[in-house]
Amino acid sequence: MLEITNYKFEIANSLDKLRAILWRDLLTAIRHRSGFIVTLVGVFTELAAFYFLSRAIGPGFRPDGVGYFPFLLVGTGVYTFFLMSAQAFLSAVQEAQQTGTLEVLMTTSTAPAELVILSSISAFAGNLVNLLIYLFAGVAVFRAAIHANFLACVAVLIFSLAIALSLGIAAATLQVAFQKGSALLWLLGSGLWFLSGTMFPIQTLPRPLELLARAIPLTYAVDGMRQALLDGHSVQDMAPTLAALAAFGLVLLPLAIAGLSLSLRRARQHGTLSFY
Amino acid sequence: MDRIVFESVRKVFRHRPALFNWLGREQGGETVALQDVSFSAAGGEVLVLLGPNGSGKTTALRLISTLLLPDAGSVRVGGFDAWHDAGEVRRQVGIAVATERSFFPRLSARENLEFFAALDEVSRPARTQRIDQVLQDTGLEEKAHTLVMKFSSGMYQRLGIARALVKRPSVLLLDEPTRSLDAATTAHFWATIRALAGQQTTVLLATHNFAEAVAVADRLLLLHRGELLANRPLGTSESAEALRDFYFSMTGAKEFVIGNLQ
Repeated sequence: MLEITNYKFEIANSLDKLRAILWRDLLTAIRHRSGFIVTLVGVFTELAAFYFLSRAIGPGFRPDGVGYFPFLLVGTGVYTFFLMSAQAFLSAVQEAQQTGTLEVLMTTSTAPAELVILSSISAFAGNLVNLLIYLFAGVAVFRAAIHANFLACVAVLIFSLAIALSLGIAAATLQVAFQKGSALLWLLGSGLWFLSGTMFPIQTLPRPLELLARAIPLTYAVDGMRQALLDGHSVQDMAPTLAALAAFGLVLLPLAIAGLSLSLRRARQHGTLSFY
Repeated sequence: MDRIVFESVRKVFRHRPALFNWLGREQGGETVALQDVSFSAAGGEVLVLLGPNGSGKTTALRLISTLLLPDAGSVRVGGFDAWHDAGEVRRQVGIAVATERSFFPRLSARENLEFFAALDEVSRPARTQRIDQVLQDTGLEEKAHTLVMKFSSGMYQRLGIARALVKRPSVLLLDEPTRSLDAATTAHFWATIRALAGQQTTVLLATHNFAEAVAVADRLLLLHRGELLANRPLGTSESAEALRDFYFSMTGAKEFVIGNLQ
């Protein structure tokens, strides 16, 4: 009985902390008016570039049986969601190191790992909104043809979150441990963009690179979202893709959290928590 | 039971030279920040860590707040070990850091305090009343709704103290707390510290200012180059004057000041 009460208390505490973090980030975002406008302009410019690129290539190019613009829309949308989530995570750590808030946050009653995970939920919420704006603008303004199964879309998104979370935590870990999170993200970003089928089907890659692409979790997230959003596949149809995403998440997330805990402990031993 | 126990603590910072060191003159090596330091503090006691720059005062505070881990020895707060029960230690400790920009600039003073109070698990019903109280204690009531990016360094200092007090810690750590405060606010602040001690809060304050130390301490810990030179209660056998002479003679601070004047 006592254990259940404690458990409920812990959950209530965590929800209260999450609310505080979301509120902090919302207030900061809306007080940065120019940042929101720049994001919108960036979304429309990128979509326009892809739209005219697909027109220049012509309607004959239909990767995976869909038009090239919708193919690009989903591929770059999911890729950007992943990268920006990891970037947001990394930026939060870097900014906290530079301003001095990281050390103060680490002296609160909230465990560092819990703090990082709650902060990431906030970052993901912001990037999810960006992804929805991106997809909505692609469909509504640039007339991308979709045939969506929304339940399957949500399933892909949920299973992908653990992977995006792992990527973000890994970047934060390297930032804390070696102050080199940006370098990792740049390297990963370039590699993932090339290998995950964002711009073209991975079947066009040489065989060894195709095999490498199939070992990357983002490939399954991009492919799964295309199946759900463009081809209307159901959750049952997508069971293998969802299972692959779940397996990646189950392996990567505990590894990432363990790595972060280790790097935080090491930073406390060496006094490098606020180094950047 | 002692609230804080520092037992044979040693802390060393190791430096590695830059990768392409031939471009600069940085040397590798190590700095002994604390060398076999032991002391304890009871509930309601005001302890002052006194010493010149680089004596290890801030390192001691950071060890108690779990921001650093000791290389040898142990640090315990309320019976919990700072290495193995860091979470329990953090629940008991509030630290007012000297970093002026340790706040979220686009949030107001109240919003910042609400954020940190949530992370410190202050219950929502108690939060508003406590924040009102600490804003009043630190003289920031009128600036409660001002974005902190518009604050002066003195106001940041006060807000840092307010943040540490919101959780009502049983151990309060203060690093040069009155550095940017005016005389009136400083006097009010000392009164607040004495009142907290009266409520059984243990206060550990780091400063290099002897007058400040004497103004508030129950006991002085004199640190120099990582070693604890003295651990003496105030207001007993030794006068403040004798302690001051001892401080200057041990640290060479007086000679430094006189040398500069000449």
